[in-house]
Amino acid sequence: MISIFGLTLEPRKKTSIPLQTAAILVGLVAAFLVSAALIATAGANVFNALGYMFKGAYGDWDAFVETLVQATPLIFTGLAIVVAFRAKVFNIGAEGQFFAGAMAATWIGLHLTGLPGPVVWVLIIIGSIIAGGIWGFIPGILKATLGASEIITTVMLNYVILYIISYLLSGPWREPDQFYLQTAWFPDHCRFPAVVPLSRLHLGFIISLVLAAVVYLLLWKTPFGFEIRSIGINPRASRYKGIRIKKTLVLVMVISGAIAGLGGGSEIAGLHQQLRLDISTGYGYTAIIIALLGRLHPVGVIIVAIFFGGLVNGSTSMQINTGVPVALVHCIQGVVLIFVLTAEVLATYRIRRTEIDE
Amino acid sequence: MNDIFQTVFLISLLSGMIRIATPIFFAALGELIVERSGILNLGVEGAMLAGAFVGFVGGFLTGSLWLGVLLGIMAGGLLNLLMAFMSVTLKVDQTVAGLTINLFSAGLTFYLFRIIFKGFGSSNLPNLHTFNVIRIPILSSIPFIGEVLFSQYLLSYIAFLVVLPGIFFFLYRTKYGLNLRCIGENPEAMDMKGVKVSRYQYLALIFGGMMAGAGGAFLTLASAGLFVSEIIGGRGWIAIAIVIFGDWKPFRIMLAALFFGLLDTFQLQIQGIGVQFPYQILLTLPYILTIVAVAIGRRRAGAPIHLGIPYKRK
Repeated sequence: MISIFGLTLEPRKKTSIPLQTAAILVGLVAAFLVSAALIATAGANVFNALGYMFKGAYGDWDAFVETLVQATPLIFTGLAIVVAFRAKVFNIGAEGQFFAGAMAATWIGLHLTGLPGPVVWVLIIIGSIIAGGIWGFIPGILKATLGASEIITTVMLNYVILYIISYLLSGPWREPDQFYLQTAWFPDHCRFPAVVPLSRLHLGFIISLVLAAVVYLLLWKTPFGFEIRSIGINPRASRYKGIRIKKTLVLVMVISGAIAGLGGGSEIAGLHQQLRLDISTGYGYTAIIIALLGRLHPVGVIIVAIFFGGLVNGSTSMQINTGVPVALVHCIQGVVLIFVLTAEVLATYRIRRTEIDE
Repeated sequence: MNDIFQTVFLISLLSGMIRIATPIFFAALGELIVERSGILNLGVEGAMLAGAFVGFVGGFLTGSLWLGVLLGIMAGGLLNLLMAFMSVTLKVDQTVAGLTINLFSAGLTFYLFRIIFKGFGSSNLPNLHTFNVIRIPILSSIPFIGEVLFSQYLLSYIAFLVVLPGIFFFLYRTKYGLNLRCIGENPEAMDMKGVKVSRYQYLALIFGGMMAGAGGAFLTLASAGLFVSEIIGGRGWIAIAIVIFGDWKPFRIMLAALFFGLLDTFQLQIQGIGVQFPYQILLTLPYILTIVAVAIGRRRAGAPIHLGIPYKRK
């Protein structure tokens, strides 16, 4: 029970779906108001700025396709988080696993150039899955055998891999005679094909949608998915049911890492064709917001990722035209999460005047 | 290496150990109080970032470093007030709430930095003159020991000589400290005794945020003299690991923090004397050590029993 300002919130016996939806809408409106205030802080006209953002994100077909390009890595990392969080395994390392996949993809794209394109694509997919899976396996096995908090170990591994990559880019993998920290570009035939002609939207987007379906089937239509979800809901009961928690836990981390790794491989093969440190703007962290807002469901992830992809895409046009920094996007994402989480909880209560004697 | 060179190396190693441990130590002491109240607060990184950012802006705009520190401390406390509202009042999953705090802080500080320092680019970052080292008269002239222990920043003295004993006294010698520790073990019993559980948890979180804020402000105002969005570099997470490794006890936490400081200084010193080894690989050492620390430390007995479980009155 919560009491503030003479009002008491009491738990409701049942929360209806319309009420939940209404609460989330109220949360979004509140987040919108805060975002508007933030834009005003930058000294810009709020409607002007939001107008440019919307137009830049969804204004025409080209803009929308570019929004999907921006959404693609977010769908991958968002799905990675869904699998983990469904088992209450808090994988904060999607960022590092994404980079592990990107590393593998880059190596394959640079070294196996003699093979035909489609073969390289398949190898890149497999390679980035394995690399991400390994980077997820480490915290998984440490948790299962030693009880090490996966939250801390995954965050630490993000830093470890970034320093490893920055070492590789400063020497062994560096493009000769280049000032920037980057590898050489790999040849065009190794690149994922575009799925919308003359756009940057690539095969990775299709893969991410297929993967969403696979994750849905895995979680809700297989015995293993049932195990994952029941561990997330009640680990103790799951043990009595004979579920081998530790084994499942390690597998969940491997799958989650593999999905994020595939996301990294897809970005390299579909978009960048080379490894740099700025290929992710924190996709692995944004993914946490996406997965939570998407209610830990693949369809929710796709919807929120496209919304966030739009924010990223539209913010460029907003910055050019109104001077409001692109950084606003990360701010909005955090604010939305806070308000939606709050609204969700408040929807499970009803408000009454506090009675003086209880 | 000759003897003089070795002594100089050792002095800078040990004095660097204290300096580098300070921000993590602040944050870890704050987190100790928070976790003793039963709240698992994962927003340390975010609170440190808020402290670093607001501390820097305050110091830069007012010209007073101490005002900056004060504002940084307040920013950390304010951010954790939000954490308290989410985790104590709304009882949002504490892991989720803490992560939310981190993401929110990262987004907000990055955005505000861009707005406040519009004309600056990555090649001409705004910077300020950092705090000076305070040499304590007489003591600092003791050979070796004076250089190591008594030529530090004032904030380091405060962390080790004021905050640490203060927290020890509070936890183990006052009624309130006893109540706080009991809340972390059995909030229901304390509630029945009439102790206001949520008030303790609110205050613990605000204090924890202030300490993290102080640690963050130390990074911008004493160490770096500038702000970049990656400045915390995982130190908030390392602080959480240090609380585990220090078995939720103040003095062991100090030793753990110093150990991390030593390792970090060691890799800096090795870079400094030009050993041919990729410095990026050396930079991974503190993170790898943190992984090792939580892998070993998880079996310790000092964890509050009710840590991370929201307390709901039946």
